[in-house]
Amino acid sequence: MSKEVKLFIGPNHPGMHGNASVHLYVEGDTVVRSRLVPGFLHRGFEKLMERRTWMQNLALIPRICVPEPDINEMVYAMAIEALTKVEVPERAHWIRMLILELARIASHLMALGGIGGSTGLYTMPNWTLADRDLILDIFEKITGARIYHMYIVPGGVRKDLPEGIKADILKLVDYIEGRSEEFENLLLKNRIIRTRTKGLGVLTREDALKLGISGVALRATGLPNDLRKIAPYARYDHVQFEVPTATEGDAFARFTLKYYEMGQSLRILRQIVEKIPDGPVNIRISEGSALRWKVPAGSVYAHVESSRGEYGYFVVSDGSERPYRINVRGASFPQGLYGIEKLLPGTRIEDVALWLATMDFCPPEIDR
Amino acid sequence: MIITILSAIALLILAFAYTVTLEGIARKIEARIHRRCGPPFWQNFIDIFKSLTKHSISHGFIFDFGVLMALGGTIATVLFIPAGNLVVFPGLDNVFVIIYLLAIGLLGMAMSAVGSGNPNASIGIGRALTQMLGYELPFMIVLLGVFFHFRTSSLSELAVLQNSGGTYNVLIMPIGAVVGFVSLMGMLGKKPFDTFIAPAEIASGPLVEYSGKYLGLLMTQHAFGTFIEIGLFVNLFLGGGKTIWEFLLKFFLVYFLAVIISSIMPRFRVEQAVKFYWKWPLILSFIQVVIVVFIMGRRV
Repeated sequence: MSKEVKLFIGPNHPGMHGNASVHLYVEGDTVVRSRLVPGFLHRGFEKLMERRTWMQNLALIPRICVPEPDINEMVYAMAIEALTKVEVPERAHWIRMLILELARIASHLMALGGIGGSTGLYTMPNWTLADRDLILDIFEKITGARIYHMYIVPGGVRKDLPEGIKADILKLVDYIEGRSEEFENLLLKNRIIRTRTKGLGVLTREDALKLGISGVALRATGLPNDLRKIAPYARYDHVQFEVPTATEGDAFARFTLKYYEMGQSLRILRQIVEKIPDGPVNIRISEGSALRWKVPAGSVYAHVESSRGEYGYFVVSDGSERPYRINVRGASFPQGLYGIEKLLPGTRIEDVALWLATMDFCPPEIDR
Repeated sequence: MIITILSAIALLILAFAYTVTLEGIARKIEARIHRRCGPPFWQNFIDIFKSLTKHSISHGFIFDFGVLMALGGTIATVLFIPAGNLVVFPGLDNVFVIIYLLAIGLLGMAMSAVGSGNPNASIGIGRALTQMLGYELPFMIVLLGVFFHFRTSSLSELAVLQNSGGTYNVLIMPIGAVVGFVSLMGMLGKKPFDTFIAPAEIASGPLVEYSGKYLGLLMTQHAFGTFIEIGLFVNLFLGGGKTIWEFLLKFFLVYFLAVIISSIMPRFRVEQAVKFYWKWPLILSFIQVVIVVFIMGRRV
């Protein structure tokens, strides 16, 4: 006779990525039912945004996502620019792309470290987070801040790049390319990791599309779905890069794609350093004090390809100094909320942390 | 009698101080592999003594009693481990006695952890016992070969015979030593065999409900357990030591080999661990026994 036991993964659990709780109902070692219990991280971002002016929101939005805050600034700026019909200076587009690709690499490094953390290979997160810190150093030089930059603003970027930053970026790109082989040997070629992740958490393309899952999870099913290619923003149509895909749809394919995407981001960074034009970096989107900006009435959906998939803001303006409504489309919302209920059952207890890590489960995107 | 008591106290102090120091140095070495600074090597002493001064949460009599049983069983086992020329019970340190005494400590731990009522602890204990089935089989087969060759199962005698013969078992039975070391990794709960601790899966398993004094006592028990397991390997395959210093040096080398391998390994799933032990180590242990019985024969 089988007996169902309830297990709590999170909010305080070493296998949980952030402040959320997953309730598991297990029989033996196998999960039979699972449910996400969000709310531990709820800070009411969407409501708070309605109470602040367009400018004040710049300091709030990056806080929605810790591993990759810049995507929030980008979609917010893109939405406002679409409503105000402002054309961003050319140089600003390239600088934005530079920031987004640096953030993507930082986020992928963190995610690859998470695979090590979930399987007990603690050398991996220590190595990747140390290397991520070097990216944060570059961010600090460019924006003055390490995590929440508040750098991409409506109309361009806050200030121009500092002197000598191109050389620093190229040095960083060379360094991370050099380290990639070590990451590959430690993680991707590791027999135990391969045995544990191959065939784990297989996601079919139909399920992914039905639930609205995007990013590497979708690309791991063979669909080269990348907004940078299919709906280019900034100047992604001016740079050469490939969209790595796989057909297995399993955990191994998902984190391997992250590794290859990191290589493509490094390739993009080199092209940005080479091609970035001179010129102004921002333009005023409204007359008068920035605290009194008024955005024309209307609604717009702006989206970018984040490290975890499609990330977007649906912005509604009533023409006043404050947004009427902003809805955040978190990249990991579908797999985090619905995927845990529909796809996680059948997984073994020991693989739950790996499932969450490779599915890019990010609680702030659900509790926002 | 007084000498026995004094040497028993000396051995316990040595086992605790040396193993906890090594655990601290291991944390430092592991940190260097991770490219970070790491805590000072005496951090584990701070952790244990600080925990012992704190209040604890109890989950009933079985929970409390199991902790004492685990510590008591492990301390009793340490007394039978020869540390170079420091042998508390000469001639009585039979390997079978050690293995059975060690089981008391492990059963105490299992009883206490299950008594906590936390499913993570129960899963951890289940995994530990399952994994034990995996590594004990090849380990015992290798041991039988060693006993057959040396005509004794006394640990101190085995150490003396290796020293008097001039070669250690690691050289005359290298396959058995490899199997012994792989089994040792499982006993120590080092990766890839730390299935029963697995923080990301079962939140440290058996230890999940312990706090304060209980945690301090179990950290002490863990230090003694490490001393027993590595002490067994050193005496069985590396000839123990003519002096205590030789023993401690060999202990150091074995421990650090385990730590370094552990830091570049991810974790097996428990069934993968058992499957692994019942595949290569088991085949190798049979090969070793065949070599010992049919080629090497009994030592004259």
